[in-house]
Amino acid sequence: MSATGDFYTMQPKDAPQDMGDIGKLLAANDLELDNQVEVFVLCRQQGRIVACAGLDHYTIKCVAIAEDLRGESLSLRLGSEVVKLAAERGQYHLFLYSAPHNLPFFRGWGFYPLVEVPQLVVMMENSPVAIERYCHRLREQHRPGRQIAGIVLNANPFTLGHRYLVEQAAAACDWLHVFVVGEDASSFSYADRFTLVAAGVKNIDNLTLHPGSEYIISRATFPGYFLKEKAIVDHSWAAIDLLLFREYIGPALGITHRYVGTEPFDLVTNAYNADMRRWLQQAASAAPPITVVEVPRASIDGTPISATEVRRLLARRDFTRMRQLVPDTTLQFLERKFSVAASSTQMKGQIA
Amino acid sequence: MKVIKEAIAGTLESSDLLVKVAPSHKGTREIVIRSEVIKQFGKQIRHAVTDTLDKLSVSDGSIVIEDKGALDCVIRARVQAAVLRACGSQELDWGRLS
Repeated sequence: MSATGDFYTMQPKDAPQDMGDIGKLLAANDLELDNQVEVFVLCRQQGRIVACAGLDHYTIKCVAIAEDLRGESLSLRLGSEVVKLAAERGQYHLFLYSAPHNLPFFRGWGFYPLVEVPQLVVMMENSPVAIERYCHRLREQHRPGRQIAGIVLNANPFTLGHRYLVEQAAAACDWLHVFVVGEDASSFSYADRFTLVAAGVKNIDNLTLHPGSEYIISRATFPGYFLKEKAIVDHSWAAIDLLLFREYIGPALGITHRYVGTEPFDLVTNAYNADMRRWLQQAASAAPPITVVEVPRASIDGTPISATEVRRLLARRDFTRMRQLVPDTTLQFLERKFSVAASSTQMKGQIA
Repeated sequence: MKVIKEAIAGTLESSDLLVKVAPSHKGTREIVIRSEVIKQFGKQIRHAVTDTLDKLSVSDGSIVIEDKGALDCVIRARVQAAVLRACGSQELDWGRLS
């Protein structure tokens, strides 16, 4: 068998005629076309697409090779091409999901397993040391105590509800580690969200604020989180995110409790909270269980405070009602950025 | 030479290697080598890598290598290419590498 064939890259929007063939190749491998893929590497032999690998930001997806052409050389060329393509797009730290039985195949691509949902899926990254280096940096932030809490916030933007949750956790535990979701995929930028959380938790002494990372609610660990409007909830992917927290982040910081607000409105987050108990607390794992504490959401006049509601009010520039839902630090930021004088149609479009 | 950004060189194909270079968090030089032939040639591979880095005066950075049984000259060439890209370097004193 020879590995000859033309390798080239293609963006789905530029070649709709190829998408049917890619879909068939994937279907033959029990995979589905993922519409988040931004660009594909394809291999064509005598007009036929015989291999494909897709890239969604820094996650490799939709990898398939025609059954009659499977063998080391084609696979390794495909792997090299997709790694090179990612580098050209500025992405060096890559992730992928594989069925557990294909793990050896992706080891050949220089990927190493991180966590596994047994019999279902393995998450891998293209470094033998990246997760260990990350945990090493976390361990430098380790604080002593019997009860150590962890909270992950998207804070889009930071509200009095977030503030209440943080206060509850900080009061009940010896130390609290707060992580801000690092992905720039929300209405507010990561930089703005982080600044507002930092301002909002400033006077809480037993708290460490951590930057986000690819290992905590990112496009790689939990792509469904960023597709909320489509209400797609993929449980296996929530499991991956939570297992990473339980097996790496939790032990590095000695986290014993994970705090989360109840979620009356948002289906994705609500399902995520349910998954939390299962994967952090109940599922079998080499890592110790992390107790999930669900705190009833803070309410104003009987209505739970949510960032969604704040964004809704912001679209109407209703700063008066917003004042009840966000701390002064967030309100001042929003007024500065979105008051009538500063507003532009572009901003409106982003928030609506 | 100073590593200022991430870069790669090489491939994952047989008899080649993929070299990844990145700025180090600690200001030290960290070399990680994974090879299919680490048991037979691990020492020799490491020597080729460190010698090449020394000649380029790379004293800090993360160097991660995924080796597929490459010959020494290939290892040296790939490490050089990755380092030059990671240092944003256009010019090179080739004499230093001999």
